Amino acid sequence: MNRRKLITVSAVLAVASLAVTAVPAQAAEVGVSSTEIKLGMTLPMTGTASPGYSKIPAAVKAYFDYVNANGGINGRKLTLVVKDDQYVPTQAVAKTNELILKDKVMALLAPLGTANNKAVASVVNPGRRGIPVLFVNTGFSGFADKKKYPTTFSVLPSYIMEAKIMSEYIKDNFDGKKLGLIYQDDDFGDDALAGFKQAGINFAVKVPYASGSQSGTTAAGWVQKLQAGGAEVVILFGVSSATAAALGTAAVMKYAPQWILGSVGGDATTIKAAGVPAGVLYNAVGASFAPATTDTNDEYVKLFQDIYLKANPTQTFDNNVMIGMNSAFLTAQAIQAAGKNPTRKSLIAAIEKSGSTFASAALVPLNYSTTSHIGYNGYWFGKYSPTGDLKPAGGVYTVYTTDSGDGAVVKSTYKRPAMPAKGLPN
Amino acid sequence: MIQLINTLLIGITAGSIYALMAIAIVLVWRSTRVINFAQAGMALLSTYFGYEAMVHLSSFWIALPVAMIGGAAVAAFIELVFMRFLLKRSAHGAISGVAPIIATLGLLGVIRALTSAIWGGQDVRIVGPVSNVGYSLGANTLAFSPLKLLILVTVIVLVFLLSLLFQKSNIGLSLRASAFSPEIARLSGIRVDGVRTLGWSLAGASGAVAGMFQTVNGNGSFSPDSIEFSLLLVSGFIAAVIGGLDSLIGAVIGGLVLGLVISFVLMYINSSLFFIAPFVILLIVLFIRPQGIIGAKAARRA
Amino acid sequence: MHRFQKFNNLLLFIAFGFILFLLSNRVDELRVYQGASIAVYVIAISSIILLTGYSGQVSLGHGALLAIGAYSAAVMRNEFNVPIVLCLFIAVLAAAIGGVLLGSAAARLSGPYLAGVTLALAIGLPSLANQFSILGGEQGLIFDVGFPPLRLGEDFTQYKWFFWISSLAALISMWFLSNILRSRYGRNWRAGRSNEVAAQLAGINTGRSKILAFTISAGIAGLAGALLSMTIGTVSPSAFPLALSFSLLTGAVLSGVTTLSGVMIGAVTLVAIPEIADVIANRIGASERITTNLPGLMVSTLLIITVLFVPNGPVEQLRSGKAKKLVRKRIKSLPKPSMEGKI
Repeated sequence: MNRRKLITVSAVLAVASLAVTAVPAQAAEVGVSSTEIKLGMTLPMTGTASPGYSKIPAAVKAYFDYVNANGGINGRKLTLVVKDDQYVPTQAVAKTNELILKDKVMALLAPLGTANNKAVASVVNPGRRGIPVLFVNTGFSGFADKKKYPTTFSVLPSYIMEAKIMSEYIKDNFDGKKLGLIYQDDDFGDDALAGFKQAGINFAVKVPYASGSQSGTTAAGWVQKLQAGGAEVVILFGVSSATAAALGTAAVMKYAPQWILGSVGGDATTIKAAGVPAGVLYNAVGASFAPATTDTNDEYVKLFQDIYLKANPTQTFDNNVMIGMNSAFLTAQAIQAAGKNPTRKSLIAAIEKSGSTFASAALVPLNYSTTSHIGYNGYWFGKYSPTGDLKPAGGVYTVYTTDSGDGAVVKSTYKRPAMPAKGLPN
Repeated sequence: MIQLINTLLIGITAGSIYALMAIAIVLVWRSTRVINFAQAGMALLSTYFGYEAMVHLSSFWIALPVAMIGGAAVAAFIELVFMRFLLKRSAHGAISGVAPIIATLGLLGVIRALTSAIWGGQDVRIVGPVSNVGYSLGANTLAFSPLKLLILVTVIVLVFLLSLLFQKSNIGLSLRASAFSPEIARLSGIRVDGVRTLGWSLAGASGAVAGMFQTVNGNGSFSPDSIEFSLLLVSGFIAAVIGGLDSLIGAVIGGLVLGLVISFVLMYINSSLFFIAPFVILLIVLFIRPQGIIGAKAARRA
Repeated sequence: MHRFQKFNNLLLFIAFGFILFLLSNRVDELRVYQGASIAVYVIAISSIILLTGYSGQVSLGHGALLAIGAYSAAVMRNEFNVPIVLCLFIAVLAAAIGGVLLGSAAARLSGPYLAGVTLALAIGLPSLANQFSILGGEQGLIFDVGFPPLRLGEDFTQYKWFFWISSLAALISMWFLSNILRSRYGRNWRAGRSNEVAAQLAGINTGRSKILAFTISAGIAGLAGALLSMTIGTVSPSAFPLALSFSLLTGAVLSGVTTLSGVMIGAVTLVAIPEIADVIANRIGASERITTNLPGLMVSTLLIITVLFVPNGPVEQLRSGKAKKLVRKRIKSLPKPSMEGKI
C-alpha cells in the first residue's frame, strides 16, 4: 500500500466515523419527555477541591427521588446527570458541552465554581442558547447581571454581600485587631476583596493561593506569612480543602489566631474529615444563611436529614447536603410553576414571576423578579462549638441582609413561612 | 531569624524524603539503564498498602514495613514481568532508545488511574506515630518536631545501610556491570537477572518509605491528585539527575539541594512558583555540569 | 519529487478539504465539535512525529509548547484585539521561539536527560501563568474567536466555525509537513537519527538540524495549542496538564511515530477514548471514581501495549510485514543449493 493510499484510507475512516451518527429527531423540548425531566450538574467529584462538595449530587438525587416517589412533578420524574469537572474550568466547559449536546438536558442545575461558571458562560454560552442555568453554586456577584447572563439564576448570597456582612461583624467584635486574609487567586477571591474594600476593611496580611495548589506543604508558607505579619484575626475565604489545610497546618505550627471561616469552605464536617481536630475549630466564627445542621428542631433540617439519611445511611448530614437539597427543592417548585408542559422559556419565566414566593429552608428571602436574578441576600453569624459544629451566637439567628453594591448592612426582619406539606411543592 | 531557621529545617526534612525517591531512581538506572518514571506511582501504591495496614492494624510501625515489602514486591514484579519483555522487544526501531521511558510513563498512568479508582472516594489519611507539633524555642515554635526528627533519622539510617551494602558486598559493582554488559557479567559469574530484580526491589522499598513519610509530613492525606504526590514525582527524578544519575551520594545531595530550594521559594516568594523552581535548578545544573554534581564524565550515549 | 507528484499531493489535500466541508453540514453539533478536536490532535501529533520519529529527539513535554502557542494567541486577542488568523500566526511564532531555545538546550542532551528536561518543562511552564496577571493566573484567560461571520447564515453554529478553522489549519500544516519531510531537511533528520556520527561525516550539521526540527515542531505544536484553546474557549494552566503531553505521545506512538500517514489513527483514537470510556462506564454502572479514571487508564494501557507490541506503529508494521512477505517469496523462488560434494 503506498503512502497516498494510506492517507486516503485513514482519511476516509475519520470521515466515516463522523458521518455515522444519525441526526436525531427534534424533541418537544430538549430534556423534557412525557415521563421525565433531565437536569445536568457539573462539579468537582474528584480532585483537590472535591472534599465536601462531592456529596451534593447524592443529596440532590435523594430529594428528587423523594419527589418522584410522591408522584413527580406533573407526572414527570426528575433525573439528574452529574459530570465531574475536578474544579477545572476547561473541564467544566467540556463536560457542560457533553451535558448539552450528548445528554441533552433541559437545564443546568447548581454548577459549582466561579471560574468554571464564567468559562462555561463565555464559551458554551447557555445564555445565547436559551438554556437555563439554575441556582449556580457560587456566590460570584457578577452572575446576577441579567444582561450578561440572561438565563442564569444565582441562589447563594454573593461574596460581596458576605464580605460586607462579615466586615460589620468584625467592626462590632474585633475592632482594632490586625486582620489577615487567605483567599483564592481568581474571580472568587477577587469578589470577596471587592466586598471588603467596599466595607472599608484593611488587611495587614493578604495571602492568595492558586486554585489547586492547596495542601499541607503550601499551607506552611501561608501560615508563615500570617505569623510574620502578626495577624490576630484571620479570614479564611477559600474552598474547604484550603480551609482545612490552613487550620491543620496552623495547629501544627502552634499558630492560633481568631479564625473566621467563609461560607464556601466553612462546612465543619468536611474540615473535621480532613483531620482537623474539633478543638481547632472551637470558637472560630462562621456564617450561614440556612438553619444550623445540628438544629433538629427546625422542620426543614428534620425533613431533609430524614430523606438524606434514608437514601445514604452511611453518610453524615452536613451543610453541603442541606444547601444541595434546598436547591433541589427550589428546582422542583420552579419546574412545577413552569406549567404542565414546561419549556426552557417557561421555566425561566416561572422563576422570575413566582421565584420570590418559593418555599425554602433559608432564613433569608429570595429576591427573584423580572429584573432580578438574585437569590438569597443575607447571613447569620455564629461560632463553632467544642464539637466543631456551627451554632448561632447566643442560640438566636440574627440575620443581616445587604446588596452587592453600596447598600448598607441591615438586620433582617424576615420570618420564614411554614414548610409546605411533606416538604413537596404544592 | 526564626523564619530562616524554620525554612532550613523544613527544607532539610523535605529534601531527605526527595533523596529517598532519588535513590530509588538511581538504583533502577544503575541496574537497568532505564529511568523509571513510574517510581513515584509505585511509591504511591506502596503508601496505599501502608494505609490499609494502618486501617486494619492501627500501627504505623507495622504499616511502614508493610509498605516497604509491598513496594519491593511490586517493583520486583514489574521488573520480572514487564521490563524484561520490554527490553527484549524494543532493541531496534525508531523509538528504541526511549521505548522504556514511554513504557514507564504508561505504567505511571495505569497506576495512577487504578489507585484513584480503588481508593479515590475515601478520605485516605495516615497519621504519624509521633506528633508533628514543633518543639518550642523560647517564645517561638520551631518547624522541627518529633516526626521530622524521626524522618531524618530513618533516612540517615537507610542511606547508611545501603552504602554499607554497596561497599561490603559486590552488589554495587554487580549492578553496574549487569547494566553495561550483561553478557560479560554473566560470564564473570554474576547472576545478572537476580541482581537486577534486587536493584528494583530495593528501589521499590526506598520509594515506599518516601511515600509514607511524604504523607505524614504533610497533613496526613494523600491521593494521586495531591501536590505532595506531584512533588514526589518531579523532585525524585530531578534530584537524581542533579546528583548525577549514577551515585547514591549524588542522589542524597540532589535531594537536599532540591528540598532547600523549594522550601525557600515556598516561604519567601510565592507558593505557586514552587513547581518552576525544580525545573530551573535542573536547567542550570544540566547546563553547567551535564553529568550532574557527582557524575563521571562518561560519554553520553544516545 | 516530481512537480507532478507535488501537484497531485496538493490536489489530494484540497479534495479532502472539500469532503470535510460537505460533511460538516450534515452532521450534528457534537460530531462537528469532535471533528474540530480531531483536527487539533492531528496537528499536535504530527509535530511529535516530526521531532521524535524523524529527528529522533524525545519530548515528553509538548504540552508546554502547546501552552506557549495558546497563551500568545489569547493575550494578543485580549489585549490588542488582533484578528484570529494573525493570532494563530503569532502562536506559531511564539512557540517556535520557545522551540529554538529548548532545542539549543536539548542539543547537548540526549535520551533520558532530554526526556527529563522536557518533563520538568511540561510540569513547570504552565504554572508560570500564575506569576503574571496578564496571563490570568490559575483561572486563565478567555479565548474568544468570536462568532462566525454573518454571511455564512444564521444557522452556522460556532462549533462548525471551529471545525472549519481547525480543519483548514490541519490541512495546511499537513501539506507543509509532508513536503518538508520529503525534502532535504527531512533526509537530514533521518540521517541524524539513525547514526549521528555517520551523518556528521557525510557533512550534515546535526546540531543545527536538530534545532531546526525542534523549532518547526514547536511552531506546529503552538498552532495546535492555540486551536485547542479556541475549541475550549479558555487558556489556563490546568488545560495543559502532564496528562495532555502523555496523550499526545500516546497518539504519536499509536499512529506510528516514524511516518505521517497514520496520524489520523492516533487523533481519532484520542478523541474516541473518552466516548468509549463513557459507554463502558454507563454499561457497567460504574461509580464516579471509575468514570473519571477510565479514560486515563485506557490511554495509558494503550500506550504500554503499543510500545510493547507495535513500537513502530501500525503503518510501519504493515509495511515491514509486507516487505518480509516479499522477501520470503523471493527466497522460496530461488533454486535450492545443491548438497553434492559438500560434507
